[in-house]
Amino acid sequence: MSVAIGDPRVLLPAQITKDAVIYVRALITHPMATGLARDADGHPIKPHFINDVVIRYGEADVAHFTWTSGISKDPYIAFPLRATREAPLTITWKDNEGGVFHQTVDVRFSA
Amino acid sequence: MRSGALALAGATLGARMLGASPIATGPGDDDVPDAVKALLKARFGARTIRNAHVSLDLPEVAPDAREVPIFIETDLPMEERQYVKTLHLIVDHNPDIYLAGFHYTPAMGAASIDTRIKLRRSTHVRAIAEMNSGELFGVTKFVYTTLNGCV
Repeated sequence: MSVAIGDPRVLLPAQITKDAVIYVRALITHPMATGLARDADGHPIKPHFINDVVIRYGEADVAHFTWTSGISKDPYIAFPLRATREAPLTITWKDNEGGVFHQTVDVRFSA
Repeated sequence: MRSGALALAGATLGARMLGASPIATGPGDDDVPDAVKALLKARFGARTIRNAHVSLDLPEVAPDAREVPIFIETDLPMEERQYVKTLHLIVDHNPDIYLAGFHYTPAMGAASIDTRIKLRRSTHVRAIAEMNSGELFGVTKFVYTTLNGCV
């Protein structure tokens, strides 16, 4: 059975003012399988999880997260970011089987 | 006999107040598993983890161990000179004790993370903030759960 993977979503607040700390929310569809569970036929399900997340704002990597399979299925994160300039924000998720998913949103100040 | 026991209790209390125990980060947290001790020693050496500045928002009882909401927050500065380098998340009784590391830079403006984790059973959960200077601040909470969420 194949599981839908990917579909990254990144949500910024509707109103952003310069130099304010905003909270960025991100969600991705991923099984985050530990390798400990078995399927209905008793066969082990192999481990498949996101182990690296990189957050890039403009030209700089502002954060990176190292994960294990202990993060829940369809990982959700919310993290702070100081909106110092109008620039693209890219989040990249990488899994242990070489899958790479990314999503870019533009940080724009409200008038 | 009694004075001996009292002296021992005094010594233990003194050691805790001085922060001589590098591991215990909360009340009722005396039975740190050996694997966790080894992990903390490997990552932080003999550095003391002070019980301050980090708050861990976690349910006391988790109805679904596959998705336990967790919110780690700090009131530590995020400036070029002094900032939180990493938030470490450690779960004593999970297959992977070191659940995640969140590495930050001063550009983030604050150090916090909101996510959802799996728990294998009732366990202590530890959040440790590591400063760029190497200082460590931590907090520990106990979560009750029933079913194994590590699937």
